[in-house]
Amino acid sequence: MGKNEKKGNVFTNNPLVRAIGTQKIVVVLVIILLALLFSIMSPSFRKYATVVSIFDYSYYISFMAIGVTFALITGGVDLSIGTGMIASGLVGGYLITHQGMPVIVGMLASIVLGLLFGLFNALLIAVLDLPPFIGTLGTMMVARGLGSILTGGMSITWPAASVPQGWFRSIFKLTIGNVKFPLGFIIVILVVIIMSTFLNRSRPGRYIIAIGSNKEATRLSGINVVKWQSLAYIISGLFTGIAGIAYAATFQAVAPGTGAGLELDAIAGAIIGGTSMTGGYGTIAGTLLGVFVMSLLKTGLPFIGLQANWQQIITGLVLIIAVLIDVLKNSKRA
Amino acid sequence: MKKKVISALLCAAMIGTMVIGCGSKGDSSASDKGGDDSSSKAKEDLSIEIVSKGFQHQYWQAVLKGSTQKADELGVKINFVGPNSESDIADQVQMLQSAINAQPDAIALAALDTEACMDAISQAQSSNIPIVGFDSGVPGAPEGAIVANASTDNYNAGELAAEEGYKAALKDRIAKASGPVRIGVMAQDATSESIINRGLGFIDKIAELCDADGKTVSIEGNDKYVSDAKVEKTDGADVIIDVAVPAQVTSELSSLDCQTLLNKKDTIAIYGSNQHSGEAMVTGNENLNKFGSGDDQVIGIAFDSGEVIKNAVKTGEFIGAITQAPVKMGETVVDLCVKAAKGEDVSDVDTGCQWFTADNMDDEEIAQNLYD
Repeated sequence: MGKNEKKGNVFTNNPLVRAIGTQKIVVVLVIILLALLFSIMSPSFRKYATVVSIFDYSYYISFMAIGVTFALITGGVDLSIGTGMIASGLVGGYLITHQGMPVIVGMLASIVLGLLFGLFNALLIAVLDLPPFIGTLGTMMVARGLGSILTGGMSITWPAASVPQGWFRSIFKLTIGNVKFPLGFIIVILVVIIMSTFLNRSRPGRYIIAIGSNKEATRLSGINVVKWQSLAYIISGLFTGIAGIAYAATFQAVAPGTGAGLELDAIAGAIIGGTSMTGGYGTIAGTLLGVFVMSLLKTGLPFIGLQANWQQIITGLVLIIAVLIDVLKNSKRA
Repeated sequence: MKKKVISALLCAAMIGTMVIGCGSKGDSSASDKGGDDSSSKAKEDLSIEIVSKGFQHQYWQAVLKGSTQKADELGVKINFVGPNSESDIADQVQMLQSAINAQPDAIALAALDTEACMDAISQAQSSNIPIVGFDSGVPGAPEGAIVANASTDNYNAGELAAEEGYKAALKDRIAKASGPVRIGVMAQDATSESIINRGLGFIDKIAELCDADGKTVSIEGNDKYVSDAKVEKTDGADVIIDVAVPAQVTSELSSLDCQTLLNKKDTIAIYGSNQHSGEAMVTGNENLNKFGSGDDQVIGIAFDSGEVIKNAVKTGEFIGAITQAPVKMGETVVDLCVKAAKGEDVSDVDTGCQWFTADNMDDEEIAQNLYD
């Protein structure tokens, strides 16, 4: 980085740019450009309802992505967040609708199940030294089967917004009269601030980054690597559970057997936001921005009349380009 | 050393969990309780393997219920299985393979993808195991491989949705329109025969009805539907049928499809051809609030029930929906399997469908087919 800074131009030498980070500025520009492009090409995109929809479909991915950023920063990955999220949503909803428990109990159950997946991953990876890809791949399959078994294979409908028990949906989207407020966005921002502070300003957060930079050196400097690497996966698990609640609040039903593939949306968001796949670097704010690029693409592309399969191709290309920028930047640095 | 032992144990435990998870995936066997019952019709212990499309939708729970009831009544043994989700074509083929390996007296199959099942089907044929199709059946299977089908005639059901929707609101709206209008069709996929037929039945019937009223019709959207429907793609038609199929069956993509349709200014109606699409219509409408029966609103027509769709019909968000008769389907398929296993003559049975609205959904005749 030092070389770049010295040779940097007016843009990269600007203290504000340095504080925020170039990758994030690029991503923000991409978001603005995409929003402009969609607005120009489709008049119906320029609506408040569209903004609310983009937010709606971003919450569950945001939570998953915030969690998985911690696993990525340690140099690992967590593939179990997609099916784990669905399993959490299924079990929480099952307790509410089939066992007659209060909504708050269902929500807590979702979080606890997410934490259990995190603990299991921590055990496999930090304690037993399984490669993160393999360990979490196993958990991903376990979560998928477990969700189906625990609910008898039925899809689960959490209480609808129209009944009193549906209050949890208002956490994410508050409806007053005919106006809908995307409250979830404020919650996500708060979570980002808390988790950013934790990652960058707290001792455990710094240890997690250090493990990703050089695990051996971190261990030799007397830091309990097993403990802090475990913490990263437990955080990932915690957010898997929270994402389960957000998913249930956004959609009408949680279907067993689904969820595989959603983790990749979250991981893609984190990567676009500048988290390094090899570990040691990543920011929570960057992850959120990356998730927004994905959400914007998913919501915006249908507006300009692109057929479903083209949307996937474009989303894939954006991911490749984002990582390519990162790779090129790194190779210059080296 | 100690660490190694622990890791070995944990790995074993994990693999064990996975194996159990896979083995019992969607396995909801209804074992034979009336086998010893001398009053049962089956003389020997007939065993039937039923390969469904999974249990994701409560619809399948109702089919399972019907099958179990009939199996108990007839004193036969059934094993009702299905993949985790309706995208798991390969898993279903594997289940069919295991079903054949179990050497049952008959197999019931609701194929997710006929092509993928072909090998297994000819294998069953050469082992002389009769296959009965149900739900979407096994369309395009080799001559004689499928002895009979117990299914909703999905094409008819799609037509019924079009007829009732047209009568209730569409005719009026199309007649009053000052410019071209758009009718959206939301289909979960373009591979499953039942979903395709429900879509095509609806599209063809709408075209026929519009034609009778002197309106021209065009079609756009998903290629499969565009090429298979009786409607031609033309410019300047009075009614445009717009078919949306997501790249992947996820709630998010289908909800976005619905929003895209709702955002088009000329859209007057959307038809969702199964529970997944119907639920996605409710999610997609949440922020736009366009469904209803008013003149400036979009007419929603759904298929199948479930809590969400029932509620949408009850509150008037959707003007109505088509329901099949899943319990009867479950009963019929077991009945056909038993007859086929005994070598009796069997033929296709249409298990029927009904149009339900806020007004008639509490009638006994309809309510028995609506599930949560």
